[in-house]
Parts: sequence; C-alpha cells; structure tokens
Amino acid sequence: MILGLIFSLVAGSLLSIQNIFNSKVNERAGSWATTTLVLGMGFLASMAIGLIFEGEKMFNLQNMEPWYWFSGLLGVGVVTCLVQGMRLLGPTYAIAIVLTSQLGFALIFDSFGWLGLEKVAFTFKQLIGVLVIIGGIFVFKFAGARKNQETSKVENAAG
Amino acid sequence: MRGFVFAFLGGAFITLQGVANTRISQDIGTWQAAAVTQFTGFLMAMLILMFIRDKKWKKFKRVNPLYLTGGAFGAVIIFSNVEAIQKIGVTLSIAVILISQLGLTFVIDGNGWFGLKRQKMRLPQLIGIGMMVIGVVILRL
Repeated sequence: MILGLIFSLVAGSLLSIQNIFNSKVNERAGSWATTTLVLGMGFLASMAIGLIFEGEKMFNLQNMEPWYWFSGLLGVGVVTCLVQGMRLLGPTYAIAIVLTSQLGFALIFDSFGWLGLEKVAFTFKQLIGVLVIIGGIFVFKFAGARKNQETSKVENAAG
Repeated sequence: MRGFVFAFLGGAFITLQGVANTRISQDIGTWQAAAVTQFTGFLMAMLILMFIRDKKWKKFKRVNPLYLTGGAFGAVIIFSNVEAIQKIGVTLSIAVILISQLGLTFVIDGNGWFGLKRQKMRLPQLIGIGMMVIGVVILRL
C-alpha cells in the first residue's frame, strides 16, 4: 500500500517536471518533433536502465502478443487529442476534462478488472471519492484562475 | 463539442496506456514494456513528423539542452506507474499521481523555477489540492 503510494508520488513529480521541460521544447520545435524526441529519449533510457538491471533479458521478448507492438501508438493518440483539445477549448478547460476522463476511466477499469487487472469492487464510497477529487480538480483549475500558468502543463506524451 | 471529444479521448487513452503497460509488463517485464511501447510510439511520431514535413525540429538547437532530456524521465514514470497500478489499483494510482503532479507544478510556478514566470500562489489552488487529498482518503476509508 505505502509502496504503491510512493511509486505514484514519484511518477506524478517526474511528470510535472517532464511536462515543463517538454513544453519548453514544444514552444520552439512543435508538437510532433517534441513527441518524437520525448519518446526516443524514453526508449533509450528504458533500454539503458533495463540493461543495467536485467542484462540480456531485455532482449527476451518471446511472450510478446501481437497487440503489444501497437500499444505504443496510444502515445501518439494522446498527443493528438491533447493538442487538438487545447487548441479548441483552451488549456484550462481541456486539461480539466482530460484529468476528469482519466479518473472516470480508471474507476471503470478497476470495477471491471479489464486487461488482467485485479478487480476492485465498485462501491458508492468510491464514486464519492472520485467525485470529490474531480471537484478538487475544477476548483484548482477554475477558482481564481491564474493566467499563463498553463504553459507548464502542455502535453504529456510519455505518461 | 469536438474539443470536448478530443480532451475526453485523451484522458481515456492516458488511463488505457497505464493499464496496457501493466498488462504487457506481466508477460515481458516492466523495462521491456517501457522500451517496446516507447519505441513503437517513437517510430510512429517520426513517420508523422516526416509526413507533415515540419522543419521546426531544427530549432532543437535553440532549446536549453537540459530541457531536451525530459523524455528520459518517461522510463521511470512508466515503471513507477506500472508498479503503483499493480499495488494499489488504477483509480488510486491515478488520483495520487494527479495530486503530486498538480502539487509540484503549483510549487514550481510559485517559485518561478526552470525560468517560468513566477505565479502568485493562491488559496483556491490549495483548496483544490486539499479536496483531491480528501477524495483519496474517502477512496481508502
């Protein structure tokens, strides 16, 4: 439990810094060049760390199902949707909807135990918890909205 | 309306990505999953970049090299995300990830780190993060 929370905190903090860095690249190089660079860097780092910890096992991919190869394309879908969403709605609205949808689908995935997840029974308590979190997101995003803050939350290609 | 659909799908894809990475990790290992999915994503993004003939990538030179390394964090982000989902489920993982992400961004903005224009920290943002934490506590009650 605690370990799971710590891993989440680490992922969130790194995402925050990564989004700031990526948005700086994005300002000059555009979103596809940025996405290409970000995913390329992520691949190299994963290979390097994997080789250190697992050695040759990094190249042992016999358990690959064909769809695993295509899963990486989701990252491209994420960038397209975020870029278009922000262009059409502005960053504040777009990001608030993205985060809400993320949580909503998380609840659905847990409840149905899709893709081999351990099923987490859907309860009223969970629904309330998620609604309060979404309320928090909207207060954070809209109450006394700060101008220009959005530049730091542009896209999140590798998340 | 179209903007809403894009944003909604974007969120769905982000969650699906975390779950798919977790599933793939069970079969081939987490670092392998991070490498494979980012590699195919990289190839696809590069194809699109070539297709749209966007020459702006040449401006990489004008970006502070530190910022070009942001993508490398992706390895540890995917690893942590998969570990978290396996240990505490998707909903709780994503909720805590969002809290730490918004929280740290808030602190960075407030201090004007990384050359960002310094923003005043305001109470509503703190209340928003507080509500998100309360929501997580409710999830775990």
